Formats: sequence, structure tokens, C-alpha cells
Amino acid sequence: MTATVPAPAARKGMGRRAFDKKAVVPWLFLAPGLLLALVFKFWPMAKGIWLSFFDVRPFLGDKWIGLENYSRVLTDHRFQDAIGHTLILGMGQSVGAILLGFALALLLEGQARSLKFLRTAVFLPAVTATAVVGELWRLMYYPTSDGLLNSGLHFFGLGTVQFLDNPDIALYSTMVMGIWIWAPYNMVIFLAGLAGVDRSLYEAAAMDGVSLWQRLRFVTLPAIRPALMIVLTLATIRGLRVFTEVYVLTGGGPAGSTDVWMTRAYTLGFTRNDIGGASAASVVLLCVTLLLTVLVNHLRTRGEAR
Amino acid sequence: MGDRRRRRCLAAAATVAGLMFATAACGSGSDRAGSSDPNTLEVWTRSNPDSAATYDRVFAAFTKKTGIKIDYQPVINFDQQLQSRASTKDLPDVMINDTALMGSYQSQGLLKPIDPASIAGGDRITDKSWSSTVGIDGKHYGIPYSRQAQALMIRTDWLKKLGLKAPKTWQEMLSVAKAFATEDPDGDGKADTYGIVAPASAQNGYAAWWGASFLWQGGAQIIEADGKGTYTPAMDSAAAVNAVTWMKDNLFCGKKGVVQPGAITAVTATATNFQDGNAGMYMTGPYNITTFDATPGKDTYEVVPAPAGPAGGDVLADGENVYLGAKTGKDEQELALASFLVSAEGQKIAMTSVDGHQPVVRIPVNSTLDAAKVRNDARWSVVQKAYEDASEQFPNAPDFAPIKQDTADALNAIFTYCGGDVRSQLKELNDTLAGDLKDQDLLK
Repeated sequence: MTATVPAPAARKGMGRRAFDKKAVVPWLFLAPGLLLALVFKFWPMAKGIWLSFFDVRPFLGDKWIGLENYSRVLTDHRFQDAIGHTLILGMGQSVGAILLGFALALLLEGQARSLKFLRTAVFLPAVTATAVVGELWRLMYYPTSDGLLNSGLHFFGLGTVQFLDNPDIALYSTMVMGIWIWAPYNMVIFLAGLAGVDRSLYEAAAMDGVSLWQRLRFVTLPAIRPALMIVLTLATIRGLRVFTEVYVLTGGGPAGSTDVWMTRAYTLGFTRNDIGGASAASVVLLCVTLLLTVLVNHLRTRGEAR
Repeated sequence: MGDRRRRRCLAAAATVAGLMFATAACGSGSDRAGSSDPNTLEVWTRSNPDSAATYDRVFAAFTKKTGIKIDYQPVINFDQQLQSRASTKDLPDVMINDTALMGSYQSQGLLKPIDPASIAGGDRITDKSWSSTVGIDGKHYGIPYSRQAQALMIRTDWLKKLGLKAPKTWQEMLSVAKAFATEDPDGDGKADTYGIVAPASAQNGYAAWWGASFLWQGGAQIIEADGKGTYTPAMDSAAAVNAVTWMKDNLFCGKKGVVQPGAITAVTATATNFQDGNAGMYMTGPYNITTFDATPGKDTYEVVPAPAGPAGGDVLADGENVYLGAKTGKDEQELALASFLVSAEGQKIAMTSVDGHQPVVRIPVNSTLDAAKVRNDARWSVVQKAYEDASEQFPNAPDFAPIKQDTADALNAIFTYCGGDVRSQLKELNDTLAGDLKDQDLLK
């Protein structure tokens, strides 16, 4: 009996050594990526968090001011307005892009060659630079009957709409562009999800004589649940840090009616040269994004467990 | 035009790339080749490739003359890039950028003080120009390089067609604008023309930049110096209320077409109506002369002094200074470059356009030169006269960036909501400005 005791220990030790050797290889392959991430992502991020506690004056010496940047940012009424706009824009854009993306995916699913062409065409907005898309939409929104959309309205005998210059509409005009940009992106993920749906389920459903809505509700949606969760997580993050769409289309105007969290942070950092304040604003956004991502993930795992 | 738009898009895309934590990122390489070589200066200018071609000629002439090499970087997103370089405590040796940013840079400690006597030929720069580079502590922090003042560009063919004259007062300007908007000056039978181009977005402070001339013409000031180094905000004065009310009632909330559609979200890059040929007037800087000579065309428009308001015809003057980055040990070479840049020779090279590239010196700071003569173009004397006799600059000593931005935010909001009460909105702006000054310990 005493002889058998060291044996498993020795085996275990050998096992660990073999495991170590194997473990090194993947890390070696990962190393360049990790190193790049460390230098270009995590280090700047850490420095950003660090700077958020300072009055940043690189050549005069940064002054530690604790949480003052945070309290200043959080009590600034323009940042408070920006939170509202960010939420409206982020949620509207996410929900709109998910619904439209799903609809597009349902319409364009299949093997036919013509569908491939259509899908490519529909996907174009997602691979076009947002700055370019913004410039295009600015022309489409042009506030006289020369503008594409207004000439359409004109044709139906309706007056011209100041899409970007009316502070009550500007945010929604931006939202429509955002939906247009992101829907095809979501569509691709949904298409991948739909490809995995077991066809026999549709056939079975057809035999049972269910309605189209029931088929969607009980067959398609449960099957693409993982895809939906990915899309939702991505949309949440994207929604909160929305910047380019607003920056190129309205620059936060008119009268701050489309100012979102990131455009405020940008103005603070780059036109007012308040790097500390801008860092604090970015850190707040980082925390909120992290929280929301964790929340969505939590809901997902709970949903899957059920 | 397509090309211009694309360039703008690229600029926008590049700006966006500098987001979030980019402020803390590594800049564009702190150990670039040559930066340790005492005989090589790293020089930054805020330029697109077009004007960079002109700078290339200037620096080539300098290197030929002195043997000092120039590592030249034209930077489009100058401020963003400079902030990231500053965070690594490694600045370019010499920078050429806007005058109004001096206070901001100085407050961050980015600049080396300059003794005007150390610049060869510094005595040929006028006192007016030198006075604009005095910092909050009384020392000079920049060397004047190029100056400009705004002027009114106006379509002469439209005036002729409607039998009108170039306006000399606000009221005349308004009636010309209305005529341009309603009487079909381009004769195409459509109501697709506008009076005045206004880049009135709050983005980058444009509304304050463009509106400043109107404020001064109305007798208003944004902040007032008391001569003892402190300032008071002055946007709640009766003159300010009157000037802003006039702009709001007549330009933005009055008859349609007086300003171009989309004016309140327009920045200079998107306010292209004058060069697109559908707006008849544009109060802007002379750098646009080269652009406008191409479209709408040299013989379709003229450059005239800005129409006068109740308090006169002062316009916004600005320009560019040469700044020396703090903490580099190449004083001698830097001063040699600065001296060359402001010399008659250096200024002349920078004032001429070769192969259609944009010249980078507008009105020379060297008083021995005459802009109109160097360019053989009489329109430049209008601008030079405006700069010398009827112009004001943003205060250079305080950090003006937050003041300009807050003023732009407020003006943009006033012009957007036509039902608002200008007096109380300006009172609110004044309180904000007081806060900005207090942050800098400059509030009286």
C-alpha cells in the first residue's frame, strides 16, 4: 500500500510538465497579438484612466485633482443632456438596425445567385467609411427641394423638412442614418444564424399548418437566439460610443440637440484642450459599457440555462 | 468639388481615429530619425498636402541657405496630434499654427518664450503684429508669420444683373441678400440662390469665429481686458444683445434664403455655397481667393471691405505664428529658421503660388512687403487695409479655446431657436464665460 502512494504523484508531476510544454506553444502564437494589444490598447487605456484624475498639463506638470474631473463632467448639464441623447440614439439605432437587419436576413436568405448579388449590394453601407456615408446622407437630407429626400416629399406635395437643422428632428435623422449603416452588418450575423436552422423544423411546422408568425416565433427566433445575443451585445457597445455618425452629420448641433457622450468628450478634449476632463468622460463611458456588456452576457447565460 | 469633399471625408475619418484614449497614445513616434541631430529641425504646420507643397519650397530655400535640414510634417489634425505628442513630452522643434491658439498652448506650457530682439529682422514686423504674441505673463510666445483679415466676397455679375451696388452697411447687405435670394440673379428661373454664406455650427467654435466680426461691428466684445491682466465677460452688454438680435432676426430667423440652407449646422468645409455658385456673398478670409478664382471664377466676384454695423466695420483678423516647442536644445537653429521665415525672402516664397498650390502667407508680417504688389493683384490691398485699419483679433493671452467654444454654443442655440429670449440667453453665456475666466484665474 505504501508503494502505491508515490506513483500517482509522480504521474501527476509528469502530466503537468507535458501540459506546460503544450501550453507554451499557443501563448507563443498569441504573443505578438497580445503585445500589440498591450502597447496600443491596454497601456493607453490605463494611462487614460490615470490621467482622468489630473489637471493635465504635460509641460507644467500634471496636477492631481482626484475626482474633480468626474464631478465636473457628471454635473455639466451638457453632459447630462448628452446622456439622454446617447440613450435615445443608441437604443433607437440598435433596435432599428436589429429589426431591419432581421427583416433583410429573412428576405435575402437562400442559395440563389441573384440573392448573393443582392446581399452584397445591401452589405455595402457596412463596409463604407462612416465619414463617406455621412457626406452622402448630408446631401440626401439637403434642406431644400434640391435634396433627394425633400425632392421626394416635394413630389408628393409636401413641404420641405429641415432634417438636420431642426433641433427636434436632427437626432432622429441621425438615427435613421445609423440604422441604415448598421442593419446590413446585423443582417450578416442573422444570415449565419439562419443558415443553421434545421430545415426539417420548417417542414414539420408547415405540416402542422402554423401561421407565418408562429413559425417565426417558435422556430426561427429560438434557433437564432445566439446570433441575436451577439448582435445585441455589439449594438449596445456601439450605441453607447456612437460618435462618427453624429460628428460627420451634425457635429452635435444644432444647439447641441444631437450632442452625444463621445462628441462632448471630443469637444472637451480637443477643442477645449481639457484632456483630464475628456479622459474622465471616456472612463465613465468605459465603465457603463462594461456594465451593460456584463449585464447582457448575464442575461444570455441565464436564458441559455433556462 | 468631388475631390475636395473626399479630402474632407478623409480628414473627418482621420479625426475620428484619434478618439477616446488616443490622447494618451504614443503620438507619431518619439524617436524619429534625425530628431537627435542638432542640425535637423522637426517642423509642423497645420496644412493639407496642397499648402504643404508651398512650405516645401520655403524650407528647401532655407536649407539651401543655411545647411540646416528640416524634417517637415504637414499635419491636418494639428491640435489632436499635438496634444498626443505633448503627452509624450516630445514636441516638434518649430510649429506654425493659428494665432488664437497661443494662449491655449502657453497655458499648457508647450511653448518657449521668445525675445523679439533675437529674431534677425524682427524690427520689420509691426508693433501691432508683435503685440498679438504677448502671453499672459508679458513675454512673447510666438513670432508673427502670416496675417489676414476677413473681407466680403461678393458676386459682381449678380449685382450687375439686379442693378445693385456692393453693400456698405448692414442694412444694404441685408437688402442685397434678400434680392439675391428672391430675384433669381443667376437667371435660371428657379429660386435656388441664397444671399450670404454662414458657417454657423458650434462645432470647433465656428459660430463665434464667423460671428465675431458682426459682434465688433455692433460694438460688442466677447471679453474685455482691464489692462491689469484680468478680464471681464461682456456678452451681456446692450451692444451684444443688439448685434446678436439683429443677426438672429434678419439672417437666421428672418426671410428664407438670406443665409444658405443648413447654415446652423454648417462648418467652413460644408459651407461651399459660394464656390458652388448658389450664394452671392461670403464674409471670409482671403485664403479663399485662390479657391474662388477657380470657381465661381475670377471675373465673377470681387473682394470688398465688410459692410459696417452701428459701431463701424471692424472685422476678425487672425493668422499664423511661428511657435518654438518647449524643451528642445536647438535654440540657434530654431531662431535661424524663424528669422528666415519672417524675412522678405522667406515671406515672398510663401506668398507666391507655384503650380496652383495655395500660398501660405496671406498678408506679410514683414512691413517692407506689400501683399498686392508681391502678388500683382489689387484685391489683396483691400485685405491688407482691413487688417491694418479695421480689424480686431481674439485676445491671445488667455486660453481662448473654451471661451470661443462656449460663445459658439450659445450663438448657435440662439440662431436655432427663433422663439428664445436673446437677452437672457446672453446673460447665461456671460455667466459661463465668467466661469471659464475663473478657471484660468483671469476673472476680474
